[in-house]
Amino acid sequence: MSEQKEYLRFSIAQRIEHWVQMLAFTGLALTGIPQKFVGNAWAETWIRAMGGIEIVRFIHHTAAIAMALACIYHVVVVAYKIFVLRVRWTMFPRLDDVFDALDTVRYNLGLTKEKIKLDRYSFVEKAEYWAFVWGAVLMGLTGFMMWNPINTARFLPGDLIPAAKAAHGGEALLAVLAILVWHFYSVHIKTFSKAMFTGKLTREQMEHEHALELERLEAGQTDVRPDPETLKKRERVFLLVAAILSALMLVTLYLFVTYEQTAITTVPRRAQVQVFAPITPTPTVRAGTPAPTAAALKPLPASHAGRTTCNNCHANNIGPKNPADHAGRTDATCTTCHKMPDASGGAPSAGPKSLPASHAGRAICNACHETGAGGPKNPADHAGRADATCVTCHKLP
Amino acid sequence: MHLRRFRFFLALWGITFLAILLVSRAYADGPRPAPAPQVENQVCLACHSNRDATMKLPSGETLSIYTDAAQYNASVHGKQGQRCTTCHANITGYPHPATTARDRRDFALQMYTVCKQCHEKVYQQAIDSIHSKDIAAGNRNAAVCTDCHTAHYVTNPHNPRSRIPQTCRQCHSTIFDQYKSSVHGAALLDQSNPDVPTCMDCHGVHQIGDPTTNAFRLKSPQMCASCHTDRAKMKKYNLSTNVLNTYVADFHGTTVELFEKQSPDTPTNTAVCYDCHGVHDIRSAKDPQSSVIKENLLKTCQQCHPDATADFPSSWMSHYDASPTKYPVVYYVNLFYTIFIPVVIGGMLAFVLLDVARRILDRFQKAGSH
Repeated sequence: MSEQKEYLRFSIAQRIEHWVQMLAFTGLALTGIPQKFVGNAWAETWIRAMGGIEIVRFIHHTAAIAMALACIYHVVVVAYKIFVLRVRWTMFPRLDDVFDALDTVRYNLGLTKEKIKLDRYSFVEKAEYWAFVWGAVLMGLTGFMMWNPINTARFLPGDLIPAAKAAHGGEALLAVLAILVWHFYSVHIKTFSKAMFTGKLTREQMEHEHALELERLEAGQTDVRPDPETLKKRERVFLLVAAILSALMLVTLYLFVTYEQTAITTVPRRAQVQVFAPITPTPTVRAGTPAPTAAALKPLPASHAGRTTCNNCHANNIGPKNPADHAGRTDATCTTCHKMPDASGGAPSAGPKSLPASHAGRAICNACHETGAGGPKNPADHAGRADATCVTCHKLP
Repeated sequence: MHLRRFRFFLALWGITFLAILLVSRAYADGPRPAPAPQVENQVCLACHSNRDATMKLPSGETLSIYTDAAQYNASVHGKQGQRCTTCHANITGYPHPATTARDRRDFALQMYTVCKQCHEKVYQQAIDSIHSKDIAAGNRNAAVCTDCHTAHYVTNPHNPRSRIPQTCRQCHSTIFDQYKSSVHGAALLDQSNPDVPTCMDCHGVHQIGDPTTNAFRLKSPQMCASCHTDRAKMKKYNLSTNVLNTYVADFHGTTVELFEKQSPDTPTNTAVCYDCHGVHDIRSAKDPQSSVIKENLLKTCQQCHPDATADFPSSWMSHYDASPTKYPVVYYVNLFYTIFIPVVIGGMLAFVLLDVARRILDRFQKAGSH
């Protein structure tokens, strides 16, 4: 067959958009599916092959941002076509699409001899397009909830987060299978469409797939480009609105990615346990010089009542520092010489007043006070003190 | 002169020589109870049974050189009839060679290596332990064989089982204090419960590793799971065996399990069992003081999620599988997709297959019409 007439189906911009979406979708699917099925050996091999779970999550997040950007672009372009160029709404679902689908089935079953004539976008393509729109919205919302669980739980019940995870995985599986069955069959297996490569379809392909559109084209029914004057007027309004709307969408996307720092990035700070704390004083402590008798040292001030750890303060620079010859002595040995006050001996005295009530339920002091972000900065002599030591002096409400 | 005159002495020498050879060979293979060692031990005890016998060390410390004969004889080594000199091999008579130990600890550190001659395998395991590494790094307080097993009065270290934490307590008293009031420790110490872990079950016996490494952290959930997924054991206490599966199904567990399998040295702050449940002070999840009981859970979450608010903890499914009563939203979302996916994809497949069938049929008909 020679010199068949070709029809432009997709502009270069549309083709690039499709490729970006395709790459983003593939990236999301390749990194998402093994995460959904983690616990199965094949999924874990898959994750390992891609470089481990952290890289997999990073790719997944990056691809999600790429897809979101492509979606924002798409909304703007569609809006331009609808409001400025005022093209025919070729992707808009109509009741006829349902009949087209039913007629196609009837034809395939041999119930009718008449083959249905399809327009620029048939029910097959509309189903896929609107499924993608629905999927993008659902995946975006559930993705947001998992990306920002703390802020989600501020506004919604917390158990919606695992529900979002379930929906995200379910919808993902549906989308991937739909692409494999519906999309691949329609444009790769049934006939291999080159429309996304060259942008063009042959006349024969047009006859088979988009007969109605072909009729329209041959009858000269194309979208009329508005005259330059009107176009300019519309564009002026559109640019303003589009700039505001796309800025809003981009800000939303930025928030999506950076809304919260879900967890601390340091290894959890936990109250340190003294690892070496012998129940009997170690021989090294007893070495040489005899211990001074308990009576020889005056008892500790009453403000020490109820305190159980010595080195928390005295080995650090809180309170008088242990003398040099006490180096290496553990808490368990202190009371050998130093007399503790009665447990009943008065309330912990003096010291800074208790914290304001607004601190109720807080557990990590340095989160705010170490840097001074969100509260008075620790005084210089508190440098290096760990959270576990704060309550030695400061009273929590 | 005929040698025959000396044949009696020659025979005696020969026999003596052979006897010495045999005995020395026997020792080369490993110690065996020598004939009537009690006699020899009694020789030692003649002096060393004196309660007040001490030795002055260069540091000024006094080292007791007393051994309780009855207690020794009741020990595993005493029952085997081991000689004093099996361990104190440098002592062959009196006066004894002077000790080079400067102080009491020095003496212990010099002596424990003799355990190796009979207990090679566990000795090598212990050499890989954090204790030995600490000793090598110059910490003289780190435990050696005799610190846990004693020198002269070695008996079965886990009879009764509650002896184990008491042994570790000698140096780790603050940890013991936490353990003794934990759900595990209380059951062991108060009720002699045979199922709960002692120190050893998590930390190992001789090959005690460093519990602060990344690798220890990452494998710790499997450690807890070794009991907590044991159906027979958990049934006794009406505990779920689903705790590991549900943990691994969530973000924390997914990350930790994958790290553990694929990069076991990765540093991570992702929560493992003990970050929420506690380390040595693990309480029953029903205990009002438990860190994971509903009332305290937010505070526990805030250790890593400082901005978390009241409803954040319910985003963690508390080791439950979703069901119509527990996490119903999750359950119904899953149910929806379990039905929806096959229906939609099935419908698509039906449509596609019908189309394929039609095309094949059309092709045949076309070929037939030609």
